[in-house]
Amino acid sequence: MAEQATAHEIAITRIFDAPRELVWDAWTQPEQLARWWGKRGWNTPVSSVTLDVRPGGSFRLTSIADDDGREMPLDAVYREVVEPERLVWGDRDGERHATVTFTDLGDGRTEMAFRTTMRTTDEIRRNAEGGLSSAFDRLGKHLRPQPRSHA
Amino acid sequence: MAVDQLSTTFAALADPTRRSILARLAEGEATVNELAQPFPITVQAVSKHLKVLERAGLIARGRSAQLRPSRLQGEALRDVAVWLAEYRRFWDESFDRLDEHLRGLQRDG
Repeated sequence: MAEQATAHEIAITRIFDAPRELVWDAWTQPEQLARWWGKRGWNTPVSSVTLDVRPGGSFRLTSIADDDGREMPLDAVYREVVEPERLVWGDRDGERHATVTFTDLGDGRTEMAFRTTMRTTDEIRRNAEGGLSSAFDRLGKHLRPQPRSHA
Repeated sequence: MAVDQLSTTFAALADPTRRSILARLAEGEATVNELAQPFPITVQAVSKHLKVLERAGLIARGRSAQLRPSRLQGEALRDVAVWLAEYRRFWDESFDRLDEHLRGLQRDG
């Protein structure tokens, strides 16, 4: 059912030099998630983070841009929780979902497979308002002629 | 950047037939009849898809009333690519930070 509308999907796989339980904790404990969530130049106050890690529980946080205080909120619900293997969460309206799977590689390392799908134009518009406009802001700054000082 | 234009572009790209049409146009301009050939759908249906693609700024169509060949417009696609890259970067950078965080934990623990 998702397939026909799946225009865009992002899939990222990483191997971490850490046991699976540690990676799981980093995703499910607010004080840990707050330390890594978001792009560089953004921070996520731990006070904004709610991780009610059970199906139907809230996955909520707000990231804040260091330079101008712009806010990027996430307001999602856990759909699937299989400790320490798998987390699935989605928007409250069910428009988007993301899945992360952790595989114990048996040598102290963990493979993390992340996948997120954008299904509707509304979803894209909401994200674009944050993501794209900031990208274009930066592009604009970059393209703007630099002030020159003439001696 | 008009965000609504981007939404229109994404909506246009959400359909596999329209993506196939774009792939065909990447090889060069084509008339509606030429475009209809590989698909099990009518020329009228392809025409509708072309209207959607045109509205999304993904293609331009010739003026000659008879054939009106369609061709790809790079600009809108570039906007989509820029946005997707930005979205992907969110996750890439988050996971870089997660990696650093996990290394830190192991060092300290």
